[in-house]
Amino acid sequence: MKLYYFSEMPHHEFPDEEGDKYPSLRLEFPNRFFDREKAAANYRRYLTEYEFADQAGFDGLMINEHHSTPSCVNVGVNMTAAVLARTTRRAKILLLGNILPIEDNPVRMAEQLAMADLISGGRVLSGFVRGVGVETWWSNTNPVHNRERFEECHDLILKCWTEPGPFRWEGRHYHFRHVNPWCLPLQKPHPPIWIPGTASPETAVWAGRRGYTYVPFLVPFEIARELFDYYRQGAAEVGRTVTADNLGFLICAVTAETKAKAIEAGRHFVWRMGPTLRAPTEYFAPVGMRSRAGTQFALRARPRSLATMSYQELLDGQFIVAGTPDEVIDRFARVQRELGVGHLLLEAQESRMDHPTTMRSIELMGAKVIPAVAAL
Amino acid sequence: MRPREETISIGGIGVHTWIGGQGDPLLVLHGAGGNRGWTRWLAQVAERFTVWAPTHPGFGRSGDADWMDGIDDLARFHLWFIDAAGLGRPHLLGHSIGGWTAAEMATMSPGSIARLVLVAPVGLKPETGEILDVFYYSPPQLLTMTVHDPKTVPEWDELYGRAPTPAEIEIATRNREMAARLTWKPYMHNPRLAHVLPRVANPTLIVWGREDRVVPVECGEQYRRHLPNARLTVLERCGHLPPIEHPDAFARLVLGFLGGDTRR
Repeated sequence: MKLYYFSEMPHHEFPDEEGDKYPSLRLEFPNRFFDREKAAANYRRYLTEYEFADQAGFDGLMINEHHSTPSCVNVGVNMTAAVLARTTRRAKILLLGNILPIEDNPVRMAEQLAMADLISGGRVLSGFVRGVGVETWWSNTNPVHNRERFEECHDLILKCWTEPGPFRWEGRHYHFRHVNPWCLPLQKPHPPIWIPGTASPETAVWAGRRGYTYVPFLVPFEIARELFDYYRQGAAEVGRTVTADNLGFLICAVTAETKAKAIEAGRHFVWRMGPTLRAPTEYFAPVGMRSRAGTQFALRARPRSLATMSYQELLDGQFIVAGTPDEVIDRFARVQRELGVGHLLLEAQESRMDHPTTMRSIELMGAKVIPAVAAL
Repeated sequence: MRPREETISIGGIGVHTWIGGQGDPLLVLHGAGGNRGWTRWLAQVAERFTVWAPTHPGFGRSGDADWMDGIDDLARFHLWFIDAAGLGRPHLLGHSIGGWTAAEMATMSPGSIARLVLVAPVGLKPETGEILDVFYYSPPQLLTMTVHDPKTVPEWDELYGRAPTPAEIEIATRNREMAARLTWKPYMHNPRLAHVLPRVANPTLIVWGREDRVVPVECGEQYRRHLPNARLTVLERCGHLPPIEHPDAFARLVLGFLGGDTRR
């Protein structure tokens, strides 16, 4: 099983009681609380941690993108990919991912991903996501078009990568009279495509049909298994066999020399589950963004919101793993046994987890956990 | 006369329609909340006019129209409805997004309609205020912001007094989705509309609630300015739903403007 390092690049640099005054930290929390000096230092710090994760032996570096929220100030996943393409040597760069429905120019996206792939020597794993509702508000994209735009944007990017230009694209949502990108990815025919899942059976089936790597985020094991079943159903429709390499899973994880230290560090993940997910329904799921099936599945997948769980419950539910390297290996092995996945994505830094703690966790993962898990 | 319900097929879409009353035809276009059916004001107006109240495609029990992208599509569709239903040259009344639709229809084909009644229509960008982002709030929150004072709404119990059934929740969700499809961006307005409103010489009555928290009254002033033959009546102690909040006064206003049965 391969391990991936991931930080949301949080900006938890304000008094929590200020954030509590607003209905959500997303969309509504005023950006006068954005600390420019601290952000400048944090970006450099987070990139250093990614670079160290590359050196420590992580198989991949996962990056993502959100907007209008202190929970993640990585506001340009392709920009971060470009930086890491140049400053790291070995690990895959997993963009998970570009938010397709809010993209107005899929051709530019195809070009930018190709450029990152070229600079990195073919290390890009290109994740495509539908995004959460917050990004729909941020971009003012009509939520009822979310899935249509996701699929059409995907189709146009793929065509940019696989069919010779020039060609014309006149679709439902995208219109380009002259497509002929003079920048194509190094990997042929194109970088592997990854798709995350939290609640949408349609997405799992769609990814399964295409053989993309499919990764449920922070859901209970039984829900992940159910989503994998939808994935297999899609794969079966086209006669594809599903292997561990097609499946991944994401959890929060930190390690330290002692259990006590790890447990203390792991508390920082609670911010990510609680305060940063606190919001009226409409912020995360604006009308029309989810299908009826997706809405019903989401209710089942999250009988209890992560935001209402205590730290201990999050540990018990395997949403957070915090322990010594041996304990962490044991937990990761359990994920592998339960789910049969080939990729484990670790959200490995959060909230106010400091630089030394983060670096030490990366170091121990590299020295002890990654070699042990590689054999699973 | 008891109203009847019909499904009229137009362009392959079944349009659920309430029809009732006597006299010249009056086409009534509902707002984003959907077709509330034969409410009190409608029954009063139907004593002197034959009311046709279709449910917009994508709403309620009408068929889907996923191809629609904006209110101009809905306006063309309802001009087609006028032809298909054989209404001749009806009076046209629209509320909120139905009012916007009516205004667009009038700019496209002023000769297709007689008199025009616009009730708190969206469609124009306010010059100082903002149109409430109705999709940002939950339906219960929205309801409290939509009316001035629930206690004064005579049909409150019939319309909102009990928990909705699953079928009603499904219809409400569908209504909201279709409203989003039609009005998301630019939000609830057409930047080009003001340029073509002066074409509409039809006698027009604009009705607004003084306490409308969804669409500011200043938009009513704008409509009055751009329409050459319009007057604006503002109802006091009234929010965004004049026909529901003050049904009797609203019906009198409409009947007075449309001239009762003079054309029968």
